[in-house]
Amino acid sequence: MWIEIGHFAAIIAFLLAITQSSAAVVGITLARPAWVRVSGRAALAVLALLTLAAGTLVAAFLTHDFSVRYVAEHASLELPVFYLATALWGGHEGSLLLWAWLLALFNAVTVWRHWSTHARSMPWILAILGGLLAGFLTLILFLSSPFDRLNPAPANGRDLNPLLQDPGMVFHPPFLYMGYVGFAIPYAFAMAALITGQADEDWILATRRWTLFAWITLTIGIVFGAYWAYYELGWGGYWAWDPVENASFMPWLTATAFLHSVMVQERRGLFKTWNLFLIITTFSLSLLGTFLVRSGVLSSVHAFASDPGRGVYILVFMAILLFFSFGVLVFRSDLLRTTIHLESPLSKESAFLFNNLLLVVAALTVLLGTLYPLAVETLSDAKVSVGAPYYNKVFIPIMLGILLLMGIGPLMPWRRATPTRLRRDFPLPILLGATGLLLAAWQQVGHPYGLATAALICFVVGTHGLDLWRGVQARLAIGSPATDAQRLTPLTALRQLLLRHKRRYGGMLVHLGVVVMSAGFIGSGLFQQEVDLPLSPGDSVKLGDWTVTLTAMGEVARQNWTAVEAVLQAERNGQTITLRPQKRSYGKRTQPTTEAAIHTTWREDLYVVLGDSTRENTWHFRIYRNPLVAWLWWGTGLMVGGVAFAMLQGRRPVKGEAA
Amino acid sequence: MKALWQVALLLTITAILVLFALGLHNDPHAIPSPLLNRPATDFAAPDLDGQPLRLSEHRGKWVLVNFWGSWCVSCVAEHPYLLELAKKTRNRTDFVILGVDFKDTLEGARQFLARHGNPGYRHAFDPGQKIAIDWGVYGAPESYLVDPGGVIRLKQTGPLYPGWFERVALPLIQAAPTPGGTP
Repeated sequence: MWIEIGHFAAIIAFLLAITQSSAAVVGITLARPAWVRVSGRAALAVLALLTLAAGTLVAAFLTHDFSVRYVAEHASLELPVFYLATALWGGHEGSLLLWAWLLALFNAVTVWRHWSTHARSMPWILAILGGLLAGFLTLILFLSSPFDRLNPAPANGRDLNPLLQDPGMVFHPPFLYMGYVGFAIPYAFAMAALITGQADEDWILATRRWTLFAWITLTIGIVFGAYWAYYELGWGGYWAWDPVENASFMPWLTATAFLHSVMVQERRGLFKTWNLFLIITTFSLSLLGTFLVRSGVLSSVHAFASDPGRGVYILVFMAILLFFSFGVLVFRSDLLRTTIHLESPLSKESAFLFNNLLLVVAALTVLLGTLYPLAVETLSDAKVSVGAPYYNKVFIPIMLGILLLMGIGPLMPWRRATPTRLRRDFPLPILLGATGLLLAAWQQVGHPYGLATAALICFVVGTHGLDLWRGVQARLAIGSPATDAQRLTPLTALRQLLLRHKRRYGGMLVHLGVVVMSAGFIGSGLFQQEVDLPLSPGDSVKLGDWTVTLTAMGEVARQNWTAVEAVLQAERNGQTITLRPQKRSYGKRTQPTTEAAIHTTWREDLYVVLGDSTRENTWHFRIYRNPLVAWLWWGTGLMVGGVAFAMLQGRRPVKGEAA
Repeated sequence: MKALWQVALLLTITAILVLFALGLHNDPHAIPSPLLNRPATDFAAPDLDGQPLRLSEHRGKWVLVNFWGSWCVSCVAEHPYLLELAKKTRNRTDFVILGVDFKDTLEGARQFLARHGNPGYRHAFDPGQKIAIDWGVYGAPESYLVDPGGVIRLKQTGPLYPGWFERVALPLIQAAPTPGGTP
């Protein structure tokens, strides 16, 4: 009964989304504000209805209502409550519903926050977001409905794919989607700006927090995916350059470029067309990500749904969106002429320009690697795959270039850098970089990329530290009054500095996070060690300075799985730890999953995977030493902190900001 | 100048969309073996009775190499056809079947053959999956057809099915100018 109410709510929401879109267009063409108000109200109603629709589905999961096909396919009586509640996005239909719900949520929040401040562009924003919502709801209602019933209802469900029964996977899709959908808002503002012809920086200021929010949630989503791959898939790594991983990475790269280039438009009025291009591209790539996952056009571990009917629809949807967005951009490009030019190649503007070029080239590299197999397969009969060797070859140099620019950027002044200033600012960081290089060489880092990363990390930390120190000095100088009593302490000065320039120093904290992550990438990418061997209880193996001994094999059982478990003792410098890798069988699905046992320290992870039994009393093991993997998660933490801090700053830049 | 980037942009988008439209017809699960039309890696392993068995002993004949294991459910489904095929081709001088029993125990393999019927051809015993890995096998059953010159000409992923030999293998065998005899 409830699920039909949910289904009905979704249908009404679909009609209201169409209403939202068309009423807004009618309102603006006939100049009738009442129609636009209807559109705005419709946006709020859509959210309420979709919340109800998603709510009934969650309720069906929690009450084990296996007469609902989607529930029967993705849950079972044995499934723990935590995974029951989140099984909503365990499959294709529910994921799409989550997508649509998030879009409805952001749509409503946009109406609430920007209704009075952006009255002129609001109708167009509503029209675009309403159209997007209607498009997604069409897909949900007509091509992949999660509300279908099964008759007769099975006594028990098929259970959730065991690989998805992992905390990393519970959080990966919602965050990823929040990122994808989040970019819809700046995208809609950008399109509205283009259509109304007000392509100045107003839309950028309006959507600054949206962009930051979408960017950081996308970042978190991607990292959760990597985390899941690392802990659950048990192949010793976290990133495989799988087409669908790439699909989430491409919008991240272009969005990162966008975050930087909007600053140039805000400060100097440059890059207008470029910014519009970047946000449209970012949102299109987000949709492409959804398309790739949901149409099965690319083979990958993620291609859960292979359904040409859906594929055709999503393709048509994408085609309309792409031609509409880029078409408008092309035809309105006359609006975007500026007479302002770069003054000097040695300036913050041009540092941003090069940063953008590198990020976009990086995105193109990934796009090429992702589409090339598809092209080869389509145009010939061969099948190729583009894997890590290609990406490592092309990508690491680009990333090193971005690190270098990241170090240079903050110390570069706007407009033009004078040689005196460069001579004053750069020797110290360069010296630090050289120290980093020597330290790395002393630590027997032999690989040129390793050396370069170490040097650049120190260089970036140097420039950022120097910048902060200069800021504190400047504040002390301004605040130095006649009497000593009123003098600022350096700590107060630092606090004032940070609080007045939340955006700037939040950004720097994000940079620090990137630096920490780079260390993790290079450490785990270049210095992983691996042994692959059979062990019987009592056998030992040495890996690095660890001695790993298999002490026993046993069995464990939980609510909905049983597992073979190995108990290993790892010993290093007199310290002993116990590792328990498992091979789990979830009764309903035959495919067993591996649970790697991981011992994490700041220096490295010891990572043990239990394989098959090869002979009586002998099991196969793969044991890895993964240096600096924990740094990836810490770096992400810093990035989240940095963005949160930057988002505290409001829509308008603080008066007298001297960034 | 202005028109250039605009046209390029729209053309790129069109090209990508066309690629996707065409790509929708691809079957992501059909993966041709890269070993196709390449010389088969020779193997030498004991058979289930402990006697040495080499692939290259059969140079000059078409060899059907069937990878299986007693742990594999689809192999049970495939087995009746293999029994039938072995019986039907017993008198051919230009065709032999070899099994490769991989990731298995001798005990399990013998029980499997005792239970489901023994087709009578020989099986290389490959408990460490050495042959399977060399041949790029990623599931069971998988079958390869090797021509008299030792080149892999065909790969079947999943079970062989009634009529497979006549419809798929025989045309290849007849098309090739075989030095060997006739049935």
